[in-house]
Amino acid sequence: MNEEAQITEGTPETGTQEESVPKKEEQEEKAEKRPAVRVRIRRGGAAGDPEERFDAFQVETGPRMTVLDALVAVQSAQEPTLSFRYSCRVGMCGTCALKVNGRPAWACRTRLEGLGDEITLEPLTNFPVLSDLAVDMSPFFEKMKRARGWLEPTGAAEKAPALIAPNSRERKRIEPHIECITCGICYASCSIVGHDSDYLGPAALNRAYTLVNDSRDALGPERLLEVCTEDGAWRCHSQYNCTESCPKGISPTGAIKGLKRRAVSGGVRRFAASIFRGRAPGA
Amino acid sequence: MTSVKDPVTNKPPVWKISAWRSMYPGMWSWVLQRLSALALIVLFPIHVMNPYIDSVRITMLLLVVWHAMHGIKVILTDFGFPDRHQRKLLWVLCVVGVAAFFWLAFMHKEYWRFMA
Repeated sequence: MNEEAQITEGTPETGTQEESVPKKEEQEEKAEKRPAVRVRIRRGGAAGDPEERFDAFQVETGPRMTVLDALVAVQSAQEPTLSFRYSCRVGMCGTCALKVNGRPAWACRTRLEGLGDEITLEPLTNFPVLSDLAVDMSPFFEKMKRARGWLEPTGAAEKAPALIAPNSRERKRIEPHIECITCGICYASCSIVGHDSDYLGPAALNRAYTLVNDSRDALGPERLLEVCTEDGAWRCHSQYNCTESCPKGISPTGAIKGLKRRAVSGGVRRFAASIFRGRAPGA
Repeated sequence: MTSVKDPVTNKPPVWKISAWRSMYPGMWSWVLQRLSALALIVLFPIHVMNPYIDSVRITMLLLVVWHAMHGIKVILTDFGFPDRHQRKLLWVLCVVGVAAFFWLAFMHKEYWRFMA
């Protein structure tokens, strides 16, 4: 919302008198206000490639120009072999995620203003690099599959549509976690993913949390047991890097904590029930 | 479950500054808690052998208070403290920690040789 508001604020209103009167001074001023920035881009194939290097390009900046605009400018005018990935250009798809000055961000929603005279662009951390800035996202989606990041319907939906009230507890729990567009920024910023390559990572666990809370999902406790493992929710160290870096404002740490709470409360309930039944816990 | 092994990721090694540039306050807090734990493991036996070394005592007090503050943060967020306020919680606990440190350090001046 805020970013949208900023954009409309900065855009000159159409149909005003000012627009119809061309001002030479203004045009000159605009031409002067085009400082060039130095964009350092990581080049080369996979990590450890002998040709891995940083190439610097001078890019003329314009008002509200983004990192993605700069990359397109470099590719079209200076270095046609530059590899990077993007799709929607408006922050909807999450394809253009990379590291800007060391921190993961979307190229399309990061403006050059405020980034300094020299901008360093690198591919996302924790991913195998394909070429230049493009990374292989398959480990990320492989883990989404491992966490079974899809709905397993109960079958009730075939009889009647599920009714989940907007103010119900279930909906309120899920709501802050559904906007994920799987850009991989949380996965790149998580130091635990870097430490344990089997760790499911923030995005997959965030997805699992929405499904564990979903009454239309048939897996329920089974799903919870699958993601609350050594390489699942319990691996998280609550460092909040994913929460701080998520461009959608999601808190995967909160989701992981939610999974842990559910696992513990379920375990405590089972333990209490087994004691009441006079059996050893787990028997 | 299939194992996802990706040996050639572009993870920067820990001795490079670039590995630490994407760290946020929550992770600094975590790193400092780990380091304070390691320092306490070293300092504790020294303290047990000679409990009257002022420099060791004051350092231990500082480290214990820091370690406890991060621990309280984790406990609160684990039990449902809203995540959107975790950074504020961290700063509040830092202030509480500094206050606790000074209070504990100076509540009994007779304990310290350098103040006696």
